[in-house]
Amino acid sequence: MFSNKTASALVTIVALALMIVACGTPAAQTAAPVVQTVVVKETAAPVVQTAVVVQTAVPQIVTTTPGPQGPAAGSLAINGAGATFPFPLYSRWFYDYAFVDPSVKFNYQSIGSGGGIAQITAETVDFGASDAILNNDQYSKAPGIQMFPTVAGAVVPAYNLLGDDGKPITAILNLPSAAIADIFLAKITKWNAPVLQQANPEVKLPNKDIVVVHRSDGSGTTYIFTDYLSKISPEWKDKVGNATSVKWPTGLGGKGNEGVSGLVAQNDGAIGYVELAYAVTNKLPYAVPQNKAGKYIDPGKGPEGVQSAMNDFSTDLGDKLAVSIVNAPGEGSYPIAGYTYLLLYMDQQDCLKARKLVTFMNWALTDGTKDATDLQYVPLPDNVKKLVLDKAAKISCQGKPL
Amino acid sequence: MQSSLLSVTQNDQRLNYRRRQAVNQVMLGLCGVAALIAILPLAWILLYVVQRGYGSLNLDFFTQLPTPVGVAGGGVFNAIVGSAMVVGLACLMAIPVSLIAAFYVYERPNTLLGTLIRFSTDVLSGVPSIIMGIFAYTVIVLTQGHFSALSGGFALAIIMTPIALRTTEEMLKLVPKTLREGSLALGAADWRTLLQVMLPAAISGVITGIMLGVARVAGEAAPMLFTAFGNPFFSAALDQPIATLPHQVYVYAISPYKDWQDKAWATALVLIALVLSLEVVARGVTSWQQRKLRGR
Repeated sequence: MFSNKTASALVTIVALALMIVACGTPAAQTAAPVVQTVVVKETAAPVVQTAVVVQTAVPQIVTTTPGPQGPAAGSLAINGAGATFPFPLYSRWFYDYAFVDPSVKFNYQSIGSGGGIAQITAETVDFGASDAILNNDQYSKAPGIQMFPTVAGAVVPAYNLLGDDGKPITAILNLPSAAIADIFLAKITKWNAPVLQQANPEVKLPNKDIVVVHRSDGSGTTYIFTDYLSKISPEWKDKVGNATSVKWPTGLGGKGNEGVSGLVAQNDGAIGYVELAYAVTNKLPYAVPQNKAGKYIDPGKGPEGVQSAMNDFSTDLGDKLAVSIVNAPGEGSYPIAGYTYLLLYMDQQDCLKARKLVTFMNWALTDGTKDATDLQYVPLPDNVKKLVLDKAAKISCQGKPL
Repeated sequence: MQSSLLSVTQNDQRLNYRRRQAVNQVMLGLCGVAALIAILPLAWILLYVVQRGYGSLNLDFFTQLPTPVGVAGGGVFNAIVGSAMVVGLACLMAIPVSLIAAFYVYERPNTLLGTLIRFSTDVLSGVPSIIMGIFAYTVIVLTQGHFSALSGGFALAIIMTPIALRTTEEMLKLVPKTLREGSLALGAADWRTLLQVMLPAAISGVITGIMLGVARVAGEAAPMLFTAFGNPFFSAALDQPIATLPHQVYVYAISPYKDWQDKAWATALVLIALVLSLEVVARGVTSWQQRKLRGR
């Protein structure tokens, strides 16, 4: 007992001493983090501007919210969970909305699309969120559920490739639709395959193996990507199919967008699909897939490519307001895009929560679009927005209209 | 002839002694190296977390609420309070149960119930923490219909119980038997002997055990995912989702944004510092108490 105690006391002392030493010489050791913060500020610059407006408008609330007495009297908590894809935007929306309507606090946790569907089905949350469209089986478990598109986003194949001169290739590569499925089916295995080299005459592609990287976890991003592959390749549709997680014919698996981009960044010759916002903020080069009309539309240049894809399908949303927008036929459409949805019961149990949710959706789709554009998401076209808000107005509470 | 023989044996002995001394030195050196290697991971982790997290630390980090991506500033005030609440709840649930059960196991080690308790705590301490989270989710979240601080505390209490129980039992066993016999001989009842003689004698070890349990559960993120759930706003309500430090580290760390990843390191640093200082305080209190006991 005694020696045990002495040993652990020693360890604690050493640990504390180390901490003190580390804190005592901040100049030397924090040099790297300081540089990094500067980089952050640069990338976040356009985003910060809007935030400043919010903060200066209501400075008193900013300082009073974290008071130890907790939420103000009568403050309502609405909990939701689901997709990770819109999480940055939703957390921004809910943060800003707490200033618009201080009487309600939206708590959103990004546990994945599958988790969002499961939790709203189990009714442990007030709303769910998903990038994947619910299948009939999922609808039958929670019959009253309705999908509400909020924004759309693009998925891009990010890559990492050193050229023959030893320098990384950073161009926006063109990816013919014939090639993309073959790459993920392991039928094209070299970067200098003729079909790839012909599509990119300005870049000299090296004779290197292609390392395929995919998601290992269930994910809405995988759903959108395999949806696209199934639409362009009958072989993919037969062999692999379309789901939030599939049996990949080849490649390495990474958890989450960060896992995939980490593997891409570590492997020369790697290609893996990530959300556009992810590729842009992490400065990963990406390839642009060819659309149905044969054009290459870079989604990083602006929201037009995804907007065009949404417009191509804007009359096909149906009663559940859900539609796949991959491989859109328009000339200017980006082909690997998808909506992300809020999941709500059409008949709510708590009338106050229901009213607040509908009011929030109206705010998010009008005033909230600015936040969406800042964070590389694409707001809904007007006709889709009208469909969503009309449907939201029909939400009832215990059988009665709100 | 005789003298030369003597000198040879003397020489032999001297050589032998020098060889043994050398071996001793080498072995001692190896022990030192092994000890250093054992401490190295801890030192490395601490240094690394301090190095990565120090830059994002400031007063606001302790007093403000989290901000979304791109909004500068913000802190983890809600997660500090949340972690304190959830771990506090876990202590409230786990400590009485594990102390009383440990008394029982110590007093009646060979009864059916005693064996059962010891066996099941051994099994329980090997169960992955995420299973405790799912269990708490099924038992509390699904039946109540919402995520809550209470369910988080419950999950952590189950993780903490076997650690606190087994350490307490071991510490009671280390108390000299004569002390117990003396107390009983003086006519003290069993409960009195336990509470006023055995427990004070074992208290520093018991508190170490509880602190080990606290340190272990304070860093658990997995069971929090489906119980305490997380909350970007301040909440001190037991029946509402609540933020905790490890869960906040997880949320920040998996994000694609550099400023959130930096905040993940800073949050981890806060978590480690809080757990370490809690440990130091608890050790200080027990050694002070022991000195007081000895002084009497």
